[in-house]
Amino acid sequence: MTSQTNRMAKDMNPDAPRALAEPKSNIVRSRQVKALSYLILSIFSVFYIWPLFMLINTSLKTFTDYLKDPAGLASSPSLANFGDAWELANFPQYMLNSAIYTATATIIFIITSLFVAFPIARGYFKGSGAILTMYVVALFLPPALIPQFQLILNLGLYNSRAGFILLFLINPIGMIILVNYIKSIPKELDESAAVDGAGYITFVTRVIFPLIRPAVATVTVLHAIGIWNELILPTIYLTNEDLYPITRGLIVFEGVYGSNWPGIAAAVLMLMLPILILFMFLQRYIIGGLTAGAVKG
Amino acid sequence: MNKNYLFGSTSGWKRYAPILLLAPGVFLYILIALGPSLATAVYSFTDASGLRGAPVNWIGLDNYDEFLFQGLASRDNIDATLRTLKFSVIVTFVQFTLGLILALLLNQKLRGRTVFRTLFFIPVILGVVIQGLMWKLFLQPRGGPMATMFDWFGAQSEFLGGLPGPAFNWVIVVQIWANVGVTMVIFLAGMQTINTDLYEAARIDGASGWELFRSITWPQLTPAINTNFLLNIVGSLQAWQLFLVLLGYKPGTQVLGYLVFAEGFGQGTSPTFRQGFAAAASIVLFFLVLIIGFVANRYVTWREARYMG
Repeated sequence: MTSQTNRMAKDMNPDAPRALAEPKSNIVRSRQVKALSYLILSIFSVFYIWPLFMLINTSLKTFTDYLKDPAGLASSPSLANFGDAWELANFPQYMLNSAIYTATATIIFIITSLFVAFPIARGYFKGSGAILTMYVVALFLPPALIPQFQLILNLGLYNSRAGFILLFLINPIGMIILVNYIKSIPKELDESAAVDGAGYITFVTRVIFPLIRPAVATVTVLHAIGIWNELILPTIYLTNEDLYPITRGLIVFEGVYGSNWPGIAAAVLMLMLPILILFMFLQRYIIGGLTAGAVKG
Repeated sequence: MNKNYLFGSTSGWKRYAPILLLAPGVFLYILIALGPSLATAVYSFTDASGLRGAPVNWIGLDNYDEFLFQGLASRDNIDATLRTLKFSVIVTFVQFTLGLILALLLNQKLRGRTVFRTLFFIPVILGVVIQGLMWKLFLQPRGGPMATMFDWFGAQSEFLGGLPGPAFNWVIVVQIWANVGVTMVIFLAGMQTINTDLYEAARIDGASGWELFRSITWPQLTPAINTNFLLNIVGSLQAWQLFLVLLGYKPGTQVLGYLVFAEGFGQGTSPTFRQGFAAAASIVLFFLVLIIGFVANRYVTWREARYMG
């Protein structure tokens, strides 16, 4: 796509040796392509930057300012909305809840799945292949929403932290990423460790775990972001406001303060900030995880 | 237990350490995901409600009958199914094409390309609540940025608050905006694997840019194309959360995924939890995904055989 040089070179000067005709038109042509590329990318960018700018701008306005001129620049920017939203909507509690759910569920998930992924990647059990298949088919099965609800209800875990966290202790895609990564670790390691007399737990946590850290990082980040952003499950399972995570809290806040967009914008930004910071540091793990296995034949 | 057991003592409880440690993960998975997923089919033949201790009766195919064959009463369900298909076709086609264009542009040696790439990818990690609220603000009919832009061209729209048709289309826009970043990074990762020597050789043979794309990029990109195609189809058939944030359960805009949630958890037209019926609706959605996914997969395999040999 990048260069269409030769056709052009030939058209302009069919008899000239290509090596001579090429350089100049090459430069002109590639400049044109670049200029066009920047133009298209810039037009796209507008729709990514503008909504974000609008959000920040609105969050700095007073409510009266906003009503007078919704799209205009904030005339006297103030951070008051952030403080108001923080106090009005019980946001500290929501943030804390989100942090508890995300951290607890992610840690338990990673530990339990490490001890599933290792032996089945190695084929140490009869039926390892069947267990792996069990995780793969989940991606195609019908949504578990309704029976899951009946299960939590009948366990008496409806509207409780424990029941809510329970729902996030699994992640088939994460498991598949871990298994595939462990397969790339040489099996000889296991044997030499066994000769040295290392115990199973020691081996998995001290030898395997450090070696598969990139995969663990990817799975951790994807899993944690998924929990942090989840809206439907809290809507279904949590009716007690003290248990709301930030997503649910924000939607309720929007329902109550429907037209107070400066307040809502401030609240949205507060929800966004932790994810953006995390993303800046962990971008390569996130993108690595999403593209893992997607481009091999 | 297994003949490959390598670690520690081979007698006593330690011998069972691997299987004891494997058990919790597998148990949780079956309890929370696999079991309930399969049980959906069972629930679809019952009149289960969401009330604890309420009797659950076997009613055979009644739920499916109600969903599909009750004339006017089934109209909304059929419409939601057709709308799901429409949503999926448009989202798949546009998101695939835009993702490919962005990836092609950003696969060049351009200054600032990482900035662009990050920018287009960010919405993916923000989740539906932020995506939705951002666009609700952007699409405010009175004085919002999009309304102002419409004004320049003398056009007007109620956006999300107006007729179901345009509101539905705006959800499509936001859905694509939010997810095109994934399609883009998968294409980019695919392009990184293409051997640049191929381009050099073709260029010496005098191939044009379009020819380079047609005969090198497109066939070499086959795995990424297949992944994106399938992910986009299956993802868009099941996507509905942006409808919840942007529109609520608005008549004339419902898709199947939302119908399941609304019927099952009393957010729809009636406040009762009709979980048996919702389970039947999720089975309908499942078959839709299965059939379309199967056809798409066959097509993809056929393509692969053709291009990759």
